[in-house]
Order: sequence, then C-alpha cells, then structure tokens
Amino acid sequence: MDIIISFAIAVLFATGIYQLLRRNVVRSALGLVIISNAINLFLLAIGAYDGTVQSYAKAIGVRSDALPLALILTAIVISMGGFAFTFAMLYIVMRRYKTADIDAITELKN
Amino acid sequence: MDKHRYLGWASAAIPAGLFAWFAAQLPTIAAGAKLSYTINWLPTLGLQTGFSLDGLSLLFALLITGIGALVLIYAGYYFTPHNATQPATQPFSEARFFAYILLFMVCMLGVVTAGDVITLFIFWEGTSIVSFLLVAYKYKDAEARRGATKALIITGGGGVALLAGLLMLANVAGSTQFSAIFAQAALVKASPLYPVMLGLVALGAFTKSAQFPAHHWLPNAMSAPTPASAYLHSATMVKAGIYLMARLFPALGGSELWFGLLVSAGFITMILGAVKGFFQQDLKAVLAYSTISQLGVLMMLIGWGSSAAMKALAVGTIAHALYKGAMFLMAGIVDHSAHTRDLGALRTLGLRKYMPLTFAATILPALSMAGLPPLLGFLGKETLLAAIEEAHGGLIVMVFGAILAGAFTLAQAAMLLFDTFSRASHPKSHSSEAANHAHAAKYSDPPFGFLIGPALLGALSLVLAFDWLLEAGPITTLVGSAAKAAYGDKVKVNLALFQGFNLPLLMSAIAIAIGLGIARYRHRLRTKFGSLWLLQPVRMDALYRGFMRSLELGAKQATGLQNGSIRTYLSLMFIGFGALTLWFGAWRWPAIANPFLIETQPLQALRVFSLLLAVAAALASVLARRDLTAIIALGASGLGVALVIALEPSPDVALVQIIVDILTTVILVMAMDRLPAKMRDAAYKIERQEHILTRLRHLAIAGGAGLFMFMVCLNALSGRPRNSIVTPFYEQQSKPLTGAADIVGAIVVDFRGFDTMIEITVFGVAGAAIYSLLRYATQKHGDDLEDADEVAPIAAQPAAPKLETSSRVISTRGIGGRVPSALVQLAAQAILPASIIVAFVHMLYGHDQPGDGFTAGVIVAIAIGLMVLAYGRIDTFKRLRWLRPGYLIGSGWLVVMMGSLAPIVWGQVFFSPFDFSVATGLDRFLPVGASISTSFLFEIAICLTVIGSASWMLQTFAREPAKITD
Repeated sequence: MDIIISFAIAVLFATGIYQLLRRNVVRSALGLVIISNAINLFLLAIGAYDGTVQSYAKAIGVRSDALPLALILTAIVISMGGFAFTFAMLYIVMRRYKTADIDAITELKN
Repeated sequence: MDKHRYLGWASAAIPAGLFAWFAAQLPTIAAGAKLSYTINWLPTLGLQTGFSLDGLSLLFALLITGIGALVLIYAGYYFTPHNATQPATQPFSEARFFAYILLFMVCMLGVVTAGDVITLFIFWEGTSIVSFLLVAYKYKDAEARRGATKALIITGGGGVALLAGLLMLANVAGSTQFSAIFAQAALVKASPLYPVMLGLVALGAFTKSAQFPAHHWLPNAMSAPTPASAYLHSATMVKAGIYLMARLFPALGGSELWFGLLVSAGFITMILGAVKGFFQQDLKAVLAYSTISQLGVLMMLIGWGSSAAMKALAVGTIAHALYKGAMFLMAGIVDHSAHTRDLGALRTLGLRKYMPLTFAATILPALSMAGLPPLLGFLGKETLLAAIEEAHGGLIVMVFGAILAGAFTLAQAAMLLFDTFSRASHPKSHSSEAANHAHAAKYSDPPFGFLIGPALLGALSLVLAFDWLLEAGPITTLVGSAAKAAYGDKVKVNLALFQGFNLPLLMSAIAIAIGLGIARYRHRLRTKFGSLWLLQPVRMDALYRGFMRSLELGAKQATGLQNGSIRTYLSLMFIGFGALTLWFGAWRWPAIANPFLIETQPLQALRVFSLLLAVAAALASVLARRDLTAIIALGASGLGVALVIALEPSPDVALVQIIVDILTTVILVMAMDRLPAKMRDAAYKIERQEHILTRLRHLAIAGGAGLFMFMVCLNALSGRPRNSIVTPFYEQQSKPLTGAADIVGAIVVDFRGFDTMIEITVFGVAGAAIYSLLRYATQKHGDDLEDADEVAPIAAQPAAPKLETSSRVISTRGIGGRVPSALVQLAAQAILPASIIVAFVHMLYGHDQPGDGFTAGVIVAIAIGLMVLAYGRIDTFKRLRWLRPGYLIGSGWLVVMMGSLAPIVWGQVFFSPFDFSVATGLDRFLPVGASISTSFLFEIAICLTVIGSASWMLQTFAREPAKITD
C-alpha cells in the first residue's frame, strides 16, 4: 500500500508543480490546492499504520495515529485560508494588469 | 528659548547617573573583584550571555558615561542657533540626535562590559550601526551619506571578520565566556587555527579603530555633527578596537605574530596619522588624523604587551579621550560661530579677540595634546616612551618613530590653537575698524553651558595629572586595575610627573624641541610639502572605491539571472531544492523487503479507487480547456482525497476536507465569474502557443519534483516508527482530562487549544486581509474590479421583483445581474436555517462524535454562499442583517478568550479543559451527551470565526450585481 499511496502523492505533487509553472495565472492558483492536497495525503499516510480502526474509537488498541489527523484538520483549514488570500492577490494582479498571463506582468523587473 | 538645551541637560542625567555608579564601583574593582551577571541564553547550545566588569571595562565605561554626559549637554547648545541671524529650529527637531547618542551609549557600554564574545559582537555591531546613523545625520548631504556608507562598509566588513574570528576562538577554547577563554590561552595559542583567528579578530579591531590601511573611513566620518564626532569618532567608538585587543590580550597576545601584526599596523598608523594630519586644512580633519595617530600608538602598545605598555595604554586612553574630546568640542563651537572649519579662513578672522573664553578653554587641552608638562598628555607620552625604552630589543626605529609622531602631534596642537584663534601676522582685508565691529557682532563667545564640556575636559587634563600627589589616587587606581586586567597580572603604577632624569624624559624633550621647530615653521612646511603625492587623500580611498566598483559589477552579474519571469524563479527554486535534498541523501531506495507487495485489507479496492479519483481529477484539471471545468475537476480531486481520509477512517477530517473543498470550489467559481472571459481566453491561447520545448522543460521539472516526492514518501512511509511517543498519551488522557471520546477533537480544542486559537486568528486575518485588499487597496489604485464582462444590459432582463424590508428597497438580482430561479432562492432560504441547526448540533456533540467547529462554520458559510448565488452579494448581506463578518470574527476570538479565562474562577489555570455545566449544576437540564464546556465554547468560537472569515471571502469574490437602475 505504501508504494501506491507514495505514487499517488507523487503524481498529485507533480501535477501541482506543473500547474504552478503554467503561464495562466488561474491555473497556477489551482496548482496550489493540488499541492496542499498532496501534502495532506502525505501526513495522513504517515499516521496510517494499519488503517483499520477508527481514530475516535473508544477502545484503545491498534489504530491510526490521531495526532497527524489533528494536524491535517488544522492544515486543511489553514491552507484554505492561505489559498484564498493568495488567490485574492493573484486576482488583484490580474485585474490591475488586465491579463492572466504571468509572463506579461514584468513590472517588478528592475 | 530653544528646547534642545533642556533636552541636552535632561538626557545627560542618564549617563551622569551611570558615571556615578561606575565610579562607585572603583574601590571594589581595584580590590580585585569582578562584577558579573550571566543569563543562560541557549543552554542547550552552551550559550550564555552576560556582562562583567573589571578594571579595563571600568576604565572604558567611565569614559563612555562621563564624556557622554558632557557631550549631551554640549549637543543641546550645538543644536541651538547661535545668534539671531540663523534660522530658528523647531522645538525638538533634533531630538533624533539625542536618541542616537543614548542608543550608542548603550551599545558601547555593552561592548566594554560584555562577559562573552557573542554579547560583545552584538553590541559591537550596534555601535557600527549607530555610527552610520550619526555620520549620515545630515542625510540630505551626499557627502555625509557617502561617508556613512563607507564607514559602515569598512567597520561592518571588519565586524564580519571579527565574528568569524571570535567564533573560532570560542570553538577552540570551548566556551564563549571570556574567563573560560583566558583559562584556555595555551590551548588557543597552540591551535593551528591561531593565525587565522588572530588575523580575523585583528581585522575587526583594525577597521573599527581606523588602523592602516583601513584608516580612511575616519576622516570621511567627520560629516557627522561635531558632538558625535567628539564622542564616537574620537573618545569612544574608535577605541572599541583597542578595547577588544586589550581584552583578548590574555587569550591571544604575546606571540610573535601578535607582536608583529599589532606593532607594525600601529606604528604605520601612528606615523601616517601624525604626518597627514599636519597637512590638513579642515579643523576636524586635523583632529581626525591626530586621532588616527593616537589610535596607532595605543594599538602598538597592545602589540608590545609588556606591563609598562599596558600602563601606557591605560594612561594614553584616558589622556587622549580627555584632550581630544575637548578639542573636538572646541572645533564644534568655532564652526558653530564662524561657520567655517577651514584653517586658512579662520586665520583671517582672529577669533581670539571675539571669543576669548573659548580660546582660554582650548589652551589646556591643546597643551595636553602637545604632550607638555604638567598635563595628562605629557604623562601619556612619558609612559609610552618608557614602555618603548624598556623593551631593549634594539628597535631604534620605534624610538625615532615615537619621537617623530610626538613632534608632529605637538605641531598639530599648535595649529589647532593658534591658526584657529590668532590672526595671521599680515592681515590684508580685515584690518579696518568697521570690519572689527562687524566681527564683534558676528562672532562671540557661546553661552556658558556650551563651554562646560570642553572646559571641564581640559581642566581634568590638568587636575588628573596631579593624581600622584594623593595616596592611591583614583587615576592611579584605575590605571592600575585596567592595566592589570589587560596584562593579566599585577602592574606597578607610578604616575609622578617627574621621575628623575631618565631616557624617556630626554626623548620627550627631543620630541618637544623638534615639535616646536615644526610648529614654528608650520606654514612654510605646509605649503611646501602639502602637495606631495603621498599625502594626497585619494590614495587609500582608491582601494575602497575599487572594491565598491567590483562589488557593483559582481552584483550586476548576479542579478542578471533575475530575468523577471516568475516561472523561471519557480523552476530554479524547485530544481535547486530538489538537487540539494538529493545531495543530502534522499536518494536511496528504502530498506523494505518487497516494496511492490500490496497487502490485502478490507476496502482496499475502494481506497485505490479514491486515490485514482484524486489523481485523475487533478490531471483533468490540467488538461481541461475551460477554467470552470478545471475548477470542478479540482473539486473532484479534493473529494477523492476526502474519500481516502474517510476510509482511514477519520470522519472528522474527512468532513472538514469535503466541506472546505466545496467552499473553495464555490469561491473559485464566484471569482471566475468576475474575471473577464476574454482575458482568460487570451491566457489560454497564449499558453497553447507556447513552445513545445518550454512545455517539456516544465514537464521535466514537474516530473523531477514528483520523483523526488515519491522517494521522500516511500522512505518516510517505509521507515516510519510504528509506535508513536506522543499519541498514546492523548489516547489515554483525552477522556479523563477533557472528557472527550473523540481524540482528534480533544487534540484540536483541548490539548493544542492555543494552537487552534492562533489558527482561527490566522483564518480571520486571512478573511480580513482579502476583504481589505480587494475593497480598499484596489480602490486606491483605481483598479476596475467590477463589470467584468459585457453583461447583457439590465433592461433586457425581466424586471426584478422588489422586496420591502424595513423601508429599504432591495432589488433581487443574483450572479451576473440575472434574476435567479425562484426555486433556487427558495432552496437557499430554506437551507440556511437548516445549516445553522446542523452546525449547532455538530458543535454540541462534537466532543464525542465526528464534526467540530470548523465543519459547523464552513457548513454555514456554504449555505451563505448559496444565498449569495441566489440573491447576489449586496442583497444577501442586506437580508442577513446578523451577518457582520468583522463582528463574527471578533466575537469568536472573544469567546475563546473568555472561555479560556473563565476556569480561573473555579481555580483552574488558563486554557484548562473545564465543564461549566457540571460546575454550575446545569447538566441535568441538558440533553444526553451535550455539555457546556470549554471545548464547546471553543467550538462555537471556531465556528463564528470561520463563518465571519468565509463570508468576507464570499462577499469579496462574489460579483457585484450589475448596476441597479432604481
């Protein structure tokens, strides 16, 4: 299972990076969401030992690690806030320069 | 009355008080005690910070505080216009100066009382920075800026070398504490690194103390206001290098290298300063070069390192600080009054007649500078010559050098005294009575307070020279304990002015005789040799300028990489990051027996399917032609991830993932609606035309990143420990401590409550930032955020139904100004209250069941999103009067704080889990499983904040309905 989830995370991550490198600002922004999904999956996989017993079960026994789950819970919300903020910035940039082509925005150069 | 005088007197109280305190410590220190104060800073790294006061520190501390007080009083007058012809200043317009001086004093005191190398270095850098601020004080003057930059670059560069040297020293000695380093002196000197660390430390000290060849920053630093020059660039800061070398003498000193390095640098500096200073035209430049010369003398003495040399060092430091401080202050008074510092121009004025008091106050320091008895300067020279003479190494050249420097210094003193104040013997233009009257009106003695500083320093130069008359006088004691601290052993101190007819006295007499000769013919000598190549100021400056030019060229080369393309930066970052990680060993196949083994587990197929969904949908979002499709695909991918989480099973997290994914999708869709389709189409077309090689390159980078991630994951997953250290604690304690069966929920709101509180703050701030960015920042720039597309004209639409609420007309228009279907509106109206109920239940039972404040908040936010879709942004917020994002975020935060503080009433601590319903006996009335506890309050707070922040996001990103015509 490790290899499957590793592969899935890797593909998600690569997809996100590829999106990020695109010229289209909108698509670049989407890349950020994909990357954070990949990272959350990674955290989840780290804590998933056997993946059979629920983390909130009343019985103590073999189970997924609750700590990474709590971290992911926080990470999901935070990354949503961060993404919204980033997108707002990109949005302003797009509106101000009237283009969604990142290479056309060169005002910061020199 | 100008306020600066009060400011000067008031701020001088601080150093004066410190001076008194330090002076009171003298008997303790002289008895051999050492005051120290240590703080454990980073104990795990063995780092401490602290202060320690011994004789050497005390000597410098007294100079810093004593002269500091006088300089501050003086500065109060310096910044007051001298007479009515000058424009009045604003009250406190120069308050900045006093702040800088006090700041500098803190740094400088820190340097001389630092108990370890790190503390010393931090304060050392502080003095460089404040010196920069002071030299560039008149920042509108290009010359001042240039001088300040030069001083900062040279002393700052030396500071970097010093840091490296000190760290090496601390590393070899095994401690940063001076006392421990001294104990390891033999080890330090035997270390192969010794020459390197000595070189680096000396570089730091030489640049700071203006030793050849780094001396030329000091004359340029004279653009600072004169009080600062007197204080920093003569009496104290430039002596930091001297202090450092004297401080480190017990650890580093005494070797051949030490001797050669310091003595040769000091010797050259001494001669150079003395000779070059003689040929200067500017009053302050003369003083600067004579300071350089004296610094050379002191450096040479440390290099010498004998007990007599250390004694001479202490005496020389005091003597120089007193007379040079006074001379600088005098130069400031002259400049203030005559508006020139040019010796040639001053000679035509004959200021002595108009400023007799100033002249009188200058006599003593000038005599002390000249090294004439019975002043402290004489003692300084005498002890110096004695130290040189004592070392019978046959260094006859040193003797001649010292005599020559002494002679030139005397000539400089004569220049400063006579050329400044006396009129040239054959005045040409200013001889008439009328001119005299005009001058009398124009030049006059300054107010008494202005003269206090120079007069007191001059008087001390005289009075302190008679310290030997007392039994164990303060200066003798001070010099003794300072020299002892530097030398590392007891030093015999006898400061009698006349010690019998001996060699030093003879040498002194020769120096005085030659000096008087030079002084007599100074004008002829100055005009004759003044144009010599060697004496031109540009020589050493060329070195600095060459360095700066090569730096700029290098910078241009380096910044050539930055071509302005964000994508290039990103690519480089990913490549660099990946390469570095691989370099450090991420590239290894994990040690697992059969990595391709896929265990059979229940629901394995479903798990693989959901991963497949996540990946495939993400890929689809890349390939999709339209942005909207891509966003939907992205949402699907997020749901795939949620499914994986749910299968874990971890319903809490899965729930949050699902609804956050939906909210993200909603916001993105709303924002897309506001971006002109044309613009997005254009970007798409441009992207299509991109060169195949560029695409392949990006594909390669992405592939590399994927591969890298794959390796990291595989390594991490196969090598992860199967038993967590922390989690069992949470599992066992969550029920007894927090009363929660849901461990994840307990971690979020109880165990890591503080974390979560910060998290909701961040989330709230994100919402507020988005709102203010788009609403205000863009308005300021005149960004056109509305009418994104050519919406079909409003008139072509059916008339919007109007709604009367509280006498205000609300015209109901949804996205794009179109009237949405009544069914959608009805659904939205119904779903919002339902969502609030769901949210409330989530929170109430969140402690034992899946679901928590985040889920609750986002559920409500999504319902609000639906309202926005159905009614448009403005209408929604008009209808939902309770929906005030700012208040919601704020009250959420308030609830957290109150909820966390409330347990204190019942004797609990801040942020401790507490059940209020049990404590107040209300639990009987609550439904089973529900409770009013801190966790419940926390969930409510999270929910409120999330609703507030998310609705701000919705409000911002949703399109403004097209102009309402009514």
